[in-house]
Amino acid sequence: MFKGVLYIFLFLILGEVIVYLFNLSIAGNIIGMVAIFIALKLKVIKLQEVKAASDQFIKYMVLFFIPYGVGLMTFYDILKLHWIAIVVSTVISTILTLYVTGIILQKFGKNE
Amino acid sequence: MSEIYQLPLFGILITLLAFHFSKKIGSKWKFVLFNPVLLSVISIICFLVVFEIEFEAYNVGGQYLGFLLGPTVVALGVLFYEKYEQIKENIIPFVSAVIIGGTMSIISVCSLAIILGASEPIVRSIAPKSVTTPIALEIANTIGGVPYIAAGIVIAVGIFGNAFGPAILRVLGIKSKNAIGAALGTAAHGIGTARALDEGKLPGAYGGLAMCINGLLTAIITPYLVNLFLS
Repeated sequence: MFKGVLYIFLFLILGEVIVYLFNLSIAGNIIGMVAIFIALKLKVIKLQEVKAASDQFIKYMVLFFIPYGVGLMTFYDILKLHWIAIVVSTVISTILTLYVTGIILQKFGKNE
Repeated sequence: MSEIYQLPLFGILITLLAFHFSKKIGSKWKFVLFNPVLLSVISIICFLVVFEIEFEAYNVGGQYLGFLLGPTVVALGVLFYEKYEQIKENIIPFVSAVIIGGTMSIISVCSLAIILGASEPIVRSIAPKSVTTPIALEIANTIGGVPYIAAGIVIAVGIFGNAFGPAILRVLGIKSKNAIGAALGTAAHGIGTARALDEGKLPGAYGGLAMCINGLLTAIITPYLVNLFLS
């Protein structure tokens, strides 16, 4: 478990270093996500070394974004002004995304 | 008394307490709006407003929890590897579906928001609305949006997809469970994927992988797409 946490932080730092060196406009943790996937695929690290730790992070993911949700309160005035545009555009766009993704896979994928 | 609020312990403790009780309520009564994140966020905001505590004071501790989203994104890469093994046979139609769906998400939400008169920071904040919160926060930061607004919208989209996604898809003629799983993961990230798991283990895997792929795709293309709309 400890080793897994260590690996995850190492890949996080690796991602940050890559972003810094190549001056990318993608966040370091996203590069870290790709890097750990490649490392697993190339068998540089083993799944069982990181699985326990990564499962814990994912299990408590929702807890970690609560502070950002609370931060919405500081934007009450802006939201009050724009709420119709926000609600209408996100609802329509979400339904469209659901449908487009679903219909493509249903039409072209192998299904049970 | 007000010194207590300035301690990191305060923000952490109140978040843990709110989350604990929200989870209890959520598991006791199966009702879509009793989502643990939604309940926690609303109860903490109410508490801060009633006791006249500034968000900044709460966030002295809150930011420590928020920091852990960084390693969580890396952990998603591990999840991605695990799920990838399960759906290899369908990988090309699946990845195409997620890429087209994910691109549609950004284009449609930006264009609709602009047509409806939303300001530029709002458009930049809601562009990554379909991807998992930690990635959406990073994207909003990178493209000049407001991470807090992005987080709020993303959570709301997730709850919407979780609550109504499967019903909407069935009405629109999507019967395949794997397709429903992929659609939920693409449009409504982890909170949608939780609902995909109700459809079965394999649809859950499709949802989880769709969430990872769309997160990566959106992180790469949003900076360019948004500049097409706002330049």
